[in-house]
This record gives sequence, C-alpha cells and structure tokens, in this order.
Amino acid sequence: MNVLVILWKEIVDNLRDRQTVFYALLFGPVLLPLIIGGGLGASLKQATVSFDQPAALAVKHADRAPNLMQFLHSNNFDIETAPEDAEDSVRRGDVVLILEVPEDFSTALRNGQPAPLIIYVNDGDKHSAKEARKVNSVLNAYSQTINALRMQHRGIDPSVFNSINVRLEDVSSDGFRGQILASILPFLLIVAMVMGGFYLAIDTTAGERERLSLEPLLSLPIARYKLVLGKYMAVLFFVGISSILTAISLYLVFRFLSPEAASGILSFDAPTITTAWLLSSPLIFFISAVLMTVAATTRSTKEAQTYLGLLMVFPMAPFFILQFVNIKSANLTMTLPMLSQYQLLERVVLKDSISTTHIALSVAGTLLSTALLYFLAVRLYSREKVL
Amino acid sequence: MIVANDLSKTFVGVPGQPKRRVVAVESVSFNAQDGRITGLLGPNGAGKSTTLRMLATLVHPDSGQAIIDGYSITENVLAVRQQLGFMPHNAGIYPRLTTRENISYYARLCGLNKKTTANRVDELVNLLDMEKFADRRSDGFSQGQKTKVALARALVHQPQTILLDEPTNGLDVMATRGLRKIIRQLAEAGHCIVFSSHIMQEVAALCDEIAIIADGKISMTGTLDSLLTHTGQSSLEDAFVSAIGGEL
Repeated sequence: MNVLVILWKEIVDNLRDRQTVFYALLFGPVLLPLIIGGGLGASLKQATVSFDQPAALAVKHADRAPNLMQFLHSNNFDIETAPEDAEDSVRRGDVVLILEVPEDFSTALRNGQPAPLIIYVNDGDKHSAKEARKVNSVLNAYSQTINALRMQHRGIDPSVFNSINVRLEDVSSDGFRGQILASILPFLLIVAMVMGGFYLAIDTTAGERERLSLEPLLSLPIARYKLVLGKYMAVLFFVGISSILTAISLYLVFRFLSPEAASGILSFDAPTITTAWLLSSPLIFFISAVLMTVAATTRSTKEAQTYLGLLMVFPMAPFFILQFVNIKSANLTMTLPMLSQYQLLERVVLKDSISTTHIALSVAGTLLSTALLYFLAVRLYSREKVL
Repeated sequence: MIVANDLSKTFVGVPGQPKRRVVAVESVSFNAQDGRITGLLGPNGAGKSTTLRMLATLVHPDSGQAIIDGYSITENVLAVRQQLGFMPHNAGIYPRLTTRENISYYARLCGLNKKTTANRVDELVNLLDMEKFADRRSDGFSQGQKTKVALARALVHQPQTILLDEPTNGLDVMATRGLRKIIRQLAEAGHCIVFSSHIMQEVAALCDEIAIIADGKISMTGTLDSLLTHTGQSSLEDAFVSAIGGEL
C-alpha cells in the first residue's frame, strides 16, 4: 500500500517536471529514433539500388538507338525525351541524369567498333550518382549481350573470354550495413530506457536529499525497503513507458520513412519489434536499478548528473565494441546485462536463429544483477549517511 | 512522553578530514512530559539536531537509550515513528506538489485511508489557517507558509509526541506568534512537545521545561523559574551563560 502511495506521488510529481517529461517521453522515444533511425534508414534507401521499380530515364536522341531503348525499357526504364541543354539541366538538377546517344553510335555499332554513349551525371548529388550506377549496370549488361552476339557471329565461344568466374557468397544474413542498422535497434531502445529514468532517478534520490525532504520522509513509519521499492517502481514506470514508446516509434520510423529497409534486407516489422522489445524488457528492471542505486550514492543532483552522465557510456559501449570486435554469443557473455541484449536483438533484426538457452541466460543474468542492485540501494538507504 | 537516558553520538569524518572524530552528543538525559512544552536550548552546533534525530530514529545512538511513549528508539523503530511527528529545521516540502498534496502524501504513508486523509487535511488547513494557499503548488511559498505545510505534515497522523527542530527559523513576528499559539494548543490537547531553539526569548516565552545543551552535553534542566533561582540570575540569557560556564 505504502509502495503504491510513493509510486503515485513520484509519478504525479515528476509529470509536473518539464525536464523529466521531455527526456522520458519525447527525447528518447521520439526524437532519437527519428534522428538516428530515420537518418540511417534514409541513407540506406539512397545507397540501395532498386532494379524492380520502374524509373524515368531522360535520353537525348533516343531515335538513334531503338534496340538499346527497347532493352532499357525491358529493364524497367521509362524513356523520356531529354531537354536540349543536357549538361546544364543536370548541373542545375532539373533532370537527375541524361543519357545521350551520339550521332556515330549506330555506325560504330554496325562496324563492330566501340559505340559511344554519354551519361550526364552530377556526382555531388547522391540521387544522381545512384541513378548513374543503375543505368551503368544495365548498359553493361547490354554491352555483354552484344559482345556475345559478335563473338558467336565470328564463331568464337563467348565464355573463352571469361577466364575467371568469381562468385561472392555472403554467409551472414546480411552484410555490414545491415549489421550497423541491426544494432541501432538495441542501441536506441537502451538509450531511451536510460534517458527515460535519468531525471526521475536523480529527483527521487539526490533531489530529495537536496530539497531536504528526505529527513522527514525517513522519519515516517515505513520500512526502508518499501520506500526504496516505491521509488524504484516509479523509475521503472518511466523507463518502461519510455521503452514502449521507443519501440512504437521505431516501428513507425522504419515503416514510413524507409519502407525498403523495413521490407528488404532487415526485418523491422511488428512481430520483430515486439520480440526485440520482449527480449530487451529485463533491461527495464536492470537499468532502473542501476540509475537509482548510482543516484542514491550521490549527495546532490549535480553530482548525480555527473555520475549518471558517465554511466551513459555503458549502454553505448556494446554498440561500438560489437562494431569492431566479433564477440561470439557464448554462454558467458549471454549472462551479461546489456551485452547479451545487444547480441540477441541484433539476431532478431537479422532474422538469425536464437537459442532458448541464450534467452534464459540473458533474462536470468539481468534479473539477478537487478536484485543485487536493489539490495544495495536498500542498504544505502539504511545508512545514517543517507541524510 | 520521552525519557532519554545517557544518549551519545560520535560522527567519524567531516568534509576534508575523513578520519576526524566529532563528538556531537555526550550523555544526554532529559524527560519530556505529555501536555508540556520542553525546550532544548543551546547555541548552534550544540547537539540539538543530533539529539532530535536520535529521538526520531534517524540516527542510531552509540550508547544510551530513549523511550518514547513506551517504545525504545533502538528496538521498536517503526512503533516510535508511528508515535512521532518530526519537523526538521528545514521544511523540506515538495515544490511541485500543492499544500494539500504535500500533507496527503504523508497521511497516506502513515496508513490513513483516503476519506480520513481528506478530512484530516481539511482540519489541518483550518487549524493552521492555510486556506489561501491550500491548492497552490508550494514552489515560491514564503518561509512561513512552508513551515505551516511542514508542521501540518508532521501532525497529520495525530502523533502523541511532536519534535520540532528550530521551527521559528526564518519566520516573521506575526508568523512566530501564530506558531507559538498552535504549539500551546497542541500541548493543551495533551501532546508531548520538544522544541529546539537557540533563541532565548522564544524558549522563555513558550516552554514549560527547559534543557540547556552545550557542546553535546546537558548542563541544566528545569522550569524557567528554577533555572533563574538555581543560577541566581534574573534573565534566561544570563542564566544560560552561567549554566554553560561562560563569563557574564
């Protein structure tokens, strides 16, 4: 009963604090996913070349190469007439890219000479560069088809010129780029959890001491462990809300800002995000306990902000470590809070299989650490020095 | 009722000197009766707050014992707290909560149900004349208003024994007079009140019993008259100086 009274008071009290509300409900859950997730998603979309979607292609003198135009059309390009001042209009950005067929194209082709083609591209513009890569690869395919025809015409097997046939097989579920994007999910979830409880943890512990409201509170007929539990649950509430909101906004960001990232190589659909949130949920308890216990050791809000600020490095550490060091998902690392969730969530996003033993170890390790931290917090509150 | 016997407390470590030992309170004994106002009079740093904190079970005495309304401060901690209304020397109220919310929070924590809490808060708002700021957030309250809220909070569970640590600090004349009136009313209602202060007039005007404390030790106890008779002085100030062994 007392615990609920404390929980309710802390929630009401802190909802009236703009800083707490901003960081718990807006910064972590909405702004960060939009800025980081949306930014990464958008850049991935730019870098990924899609051959399936029909695209417009401005061509100057299309009539000089009817067969090429047909080939381009069958490769999902809608041919449009390019403006006369090809170079300037690409530079100005009026047209993304222009393909020009020079006058001697068909003659050179007929004579078995290299036939010239000009692509006007603005390499400083990512969209233009991406279109150029796409057009280039289609033109290469066309060139190879003609090469083959020419050789067959002269009685040579075209494969004679292919002395090496390299085949690249990526055994990971996705490449490096996917790896970074996959670790964004645990990163944002964990940062949002920390931000969600940050100010509340400081306010209910160091803040209470600084306002000198702790002394009368401790003289009330309540056991210390109940007092700590009430405060802990309040932090837990904000951390939990923050992580749920973050999961929802990540889903929306990847769904609406970059449908390609959501549907293509990585999985950011509703079941994935839900699974990821469930796997990361033991961290809600752990992070709340860390925030509260650390803040409880400090004497002022300023001191608490310093320590917790330094602590912010921890949720980021696995993100960077896992980028450079390949840590195998061993049983031992799976007992470590944060690191295990990072690894599990990456596998979820990359659609890799996850062993139940690893999930069990991750949950058990995290909750055990939480219990230890909670007992430490109760001990801290039972000391006389807490005043 | 409070019976304090030989209470001692030594703190280890002061800022900058982690190993220094500071004797805050040494063998403090005094009694405080129900229906009477007992004043703990002493200069700053005499050990008044530490004594009250020990009685409020916030600090564990190194030695000695105190019994409050039949409960030991070292063994029946929660029972003692249930009997006690403690107001530390800073109000320590929550700035983002209203007067009513501040008081209700403590009422609920002391186990009062919702209905009783609402009635009790109304009663206290009336008693302490807080209607004007009852529903305002306490951020920006005057010192007097803060003290009233803190006092209401300490009284909310109708404790038999009330400890007030320098309650008139920062109050103007009218607020001080108002507070004195309330404290007298509480004593008349049968509560045991311990009141600490370093202001002579205050203690002389209010207290039935006075315990003079200096350097962590009680140097004299008694009514105002008996202190004056005992020291042969005509004012409490002179009696105080004489009691703590100072030069007149």
